[in-house]
Amino acid sequence: MGETSSFTNPRSLAVIGASNTPGKIGNALVKNLIESGYKGRIYPVNSREKEVLGLPCFATLAEIPEDIETAIFAIPARKALDVALACGQKGVKNLVVITAGFKEIGREGAELEKEFLSICRQYNMRMLGPNCVGFIDTHTPINATFLKGFPPKGEIAFISQSGAILASILDWSQTAGIGYSKILSLGNKADLSEVDFIAEAADDPNTKVILCYIEDVSNGPEFLKIVPEVTKKKPVVILKSGTSQSGAMAASSHTGALAGSNLAYDTAFKKCGVLRVSSMSELLDLAIAFANQPVPKGDRVAVVTNSGGPGIIATDRAELNGLQIARFTKETIEELRSYLPAEAGIYNPVDVLGDAKADRFRFALEKVFKDENVDSVAVLLCPVAVTEPVETAQALIEFSRAYPEKTVIAAYMGGQALAEGTKLLTDNGIPCFSMPETAIAAIAGMSAYRKMREQADAREKADDFKPDQKTVKAVFYDVSRDNRLALLGNEASDVVEAYGIAVAPTALSQSPDEAAEIAEKIGYPVVLKIASPKILHKTDIGGVMAGLQTPEEVKNAYVNIMETVHRYLPNVVPYGIEIQKMVPKGIELIVGMTRDVQFGPLIGFGLGGIFVNLIKDVSFRLANGLTSADIAEMISETKAYMLLKGYRGERPVDIAAVSEVIRRVAILARDFPEITEIDINPVFAYEKGVAALDVKITLS
Amino acid sequence: MKNLYVTGVAGCGKTAIALGIALKLKREGINVTYFKPVGSRPRLQGNEDSDALLMHEILDMKADVKMIAPFTAGTSYLSGLKNQELALASIKESFQAISGEADVVIIDAATFPHVGATFGLDVVSLAPLLDAHILNVVKVENDLSVDQAIFFNSNCAARGLKLIGHIFNNVPRQVLAKTEGVFKPVLEKMGCATLGIIPMRPEIASPTVSEYYEVLGGELLAGEENLGRLVEEVIVGAMTMESALKYMRRSANKAVIMGGDRADMALATLETSTSALILTGGLYPDVKVIARAAEKGVPLILVHYDTYTTIEKISEVSRRIRPGDFTGINIAVENIEQHCDWRLILKSLKEE
Repeated sequence: MGETSSFTNPRSLAVIGASNTPGKIGNALVKNLIESGYKGRIYPVNSREKEVLGLPCFATLAEIPEDIETAIFAIPARKALDVALACGQKGVKNLVVITAGFKEIGREGAELEKEFLSICRQYNMRMLGPNCVGFIDTHTPINATFLKGFPPKGEIAFISQSGAILASILDWSQTAGIGYSKILSLGNKADLSEVDFIAEAADDPNTKVILCYIEDVSNGPEFLKIVPEVTKKKPVVILKSGTSQSGAMAASSHTGALAGSNLAYDTAFKKCGVLRVSSMSELLDLAIAFANQPVPKGDRVAVVTNSGGPGIIATDRAELNGLQIARFTKETIEELRSYLPAEAGIYNPVDVLGDAKADRFRFALEKVFKDENVDSVAVLLCPVAVTEPVETAQALIEFSRAYPEKTVIAAYMGGQALAEGTKLLTDNGIPCFSMPETAIAAIAGMSAYRKMREQADAREKADDFKPDQKTVKAVFYDVSRDNRLALLGNEASDVVEAYGIAVAPTALSQSPDEAAEIAEKIGYPVVLKIASPKILHKTDIGGVMAGLQTPEEVKNAYVNIMETVHRYLPNVVPYGIEIQKMVPKGIELIVGMTRDVQFGPLIGFGLGGIFVNLIKDVSFRLANGLTSADIAEMISETKAYMLLKGYRGERPVDIAAVSEVIRRVAILARDFPEITEIDINPVFAYEKGVAALDVKITLS
Repeated sequence: MKNLYVTGVAGCGKTAIALGIALKLKREGINVTYFKPVGSRPRLQGNEDSDALLMHEILDMKADVKMIAPFTAGTSYLSGLKNQELALASIKESFQAISGEADVVIIDAATFPHVGATFGLDVVSLAPLLDAHILNVVKVENDLSVDQAIFFNSNCAARGLKLIGHIFNNVPRQVLAKTEGVFKPVLEKMGCATLGIIPMRPEIASPTVSEYYEVLGGELLAGEENLGRLVEEVIVGAMTMESALKYMRRSANKAVIMGGDRADMALATLETSTSALILTGGLYPDVKVIARAAEKGVPLILVHYDTYTTIEKISEVSRRIRPGDFTGINIAVENIEQHCDWRLILKSLKEE
């Protein structure tokens, strides 16, 4: 993002609404700018002041003799548009709009925000906010916020949609001594959003890890394009709130976020290599780990502890989080055995026992760090009378320096007795938590990032094929002529068949005679299903009759279904009845697509049949850029995979054909953006080939 | 010439057919007026029958609107306040005045042909008094709709009345073939003429948002500019988000009714094809909902009663053609010209 490259490092600044009155935002802003040691020029603007905090004050922007790169708004919303125009005329490049009273207050505010944005577009200005708290860059240095305090220099960039969270983090970090490279408050995201600043932080040499707190992603397609490139370079950790039902409601009344579906966010983040966390503490723990330690080369973790309990907790948690407990080399085990007391644990976890002083820790650590089967080390220390927390910390720091490629996280489990040791570790770049599970979670999070990056590298582009788009267009034309959104079963079958997906032969009939005629043509046995886009669950209302063998049975079934359906749904006028040839039973699968407002089509695959909603064995991926590696992965994630491979003596089915169905549904969804939903349930999978039975398609 | 009594069951589109025929005959140089002897629903606001108002204006009639629709048989008309002799007298008197202006009077029946029978004001009793032939409009729902037409037909024949034929109105596309191939031949076999099969046109079959708003009242929070949108379906959003979205996505041009506090559901609904969002319980919605509705131009109606009452009220809503509704009026005439044998209708009226 070239446009924002100098966003946090402007040459000159105007503070509109600057004030001498303590307690006013316009006062706090100027004070923070001065105190942060900002080297550029600061121009306070306020018609009622001659001077603000010792700086000459200007009545209007136009009177400032120099070009202004960035203007900070600390004025009421009703004045904002006039000032924005003045900024445009003055040639200001960037606006930081602290002012509230826009989209977050409702309709009038939303109108105002729209006008504001159009002025920005007209003059080619970029805007942060409105309704934000500003930004901080510790390396520039600049504090363009009205928050209290300035964090130490560091390598964590924090981008937040909530200003209040920033205020707390800032204050808390000062006590904890955690440094930041940049802090950005997004506010209403009228123009610039998380993706712009994630991209900027990616190119920032002072940033090692990017943290975000967001309530929604403003521009799904842009996010999907830019963020995967960023995560190849550095980790992006996101806390996205609004995941629970009531959470979504809270989010909608907060900064005014659109309720995107949680599943879509999970899938999209995964695709982008973003680490998603679910709590503030995880977010910060991971930030500290990434900022200070290398990403582990593998999943193998070694645990060194002076007590059994925490060691077991740590190993349990490691396995739960997808890490492996490292298996030491024979040499390591021999050395540990020769020196440690007989009752010590010499396998992983290494238990140096409660009476261990620093020298015993030092010995064990040396062997463990040296072991080539170890990718990361977790050190757990409980305070007992003989424990030497500071000396142990020193040993740890030494080995961490000697083996810079190995990840080290400590957990000093205690308070006062361990405070000095804890501080020594954190000051020397070794994250030190107070609980074993936190330490393991940090290693697991870093490892997950590595895995996502490796997978991204391994992905190749899927080759496309030539589908029969004409047929699909013709069907869609018929549907739109009827003013319908839902396709009839036979229409939907035609559509997927045009994309090379094998379907059980299906046709629509409008009379008993026609039904019998069709049945004769496609062959018995057949199943009859009521045809109406208004009926979602046909079986529930007697709309399906199966196993029909003769023309007479077909005709009777036709009338029977019509009358039963009418009894249940008197106001629905069916289109007729679909006749489908019955095919042999295979493994019942579901392949579906649902279109997300933010991230586009999502493809789902899993165990099908009528219990699909009960069993919920479905995995999802984004349809765009879906590769064969993705498809293989999504199949293997489900329990259905066990069935496909041949469960309890059954023969395996044609997984290649199943993959092809998934791939083609994805291509169909990509080719026709008007499709909002596809549901193929069931698809029967056989030893050779597949057959789609019930296809539902909905258009927008 | 004989007059034409247009009848049929509730919701079959009698008035649109009456309007279409009236205008068509007028274009053929015939002097036409309109008469509605028995209205059936009392009006809450204003005393004038809206169909009468419409015809008064469109046919440029001189008679007073009250004279065009002289009597109302509400659902409690037998309570003793109405008098049979007076009713009949006022109908006769009004008819005298109105028929005096014209060659043909198009007579619009009440909601059902039997309405007013106690007073002798049903279609079969009034037709001879008003010197009219009868035209029956059929609302096609299923095979039983045809039974109804045949039953009515035989009833008229038994009373020595001339029922010139039946028009299938607002036929959904999916039953057009059956109407043509099954229903019409069945009628013919029973000695009933089919004068037309008119396919469904949502433009005149579906009520507009403003018709809903009129019935519901309440506050309009957004989307004022789109009250003319058609409502083709009504959905109640009282389910989980997951299942709701399935329904929402499948239906086009719908009105959705839900509690005002369901911000999540409202936002999701606004992402689908929605003509109007009706929020119940007087629960003022989240600002985000209002902003999004305004952005999308979707009328947002806040009503103060509960969801059940809202649904009850909505069942009263039906599409009515109004004087300024040129699309509706043009379609009504087009339907008669293109899908009905209007020449035969005219010929039957000329025969005594």
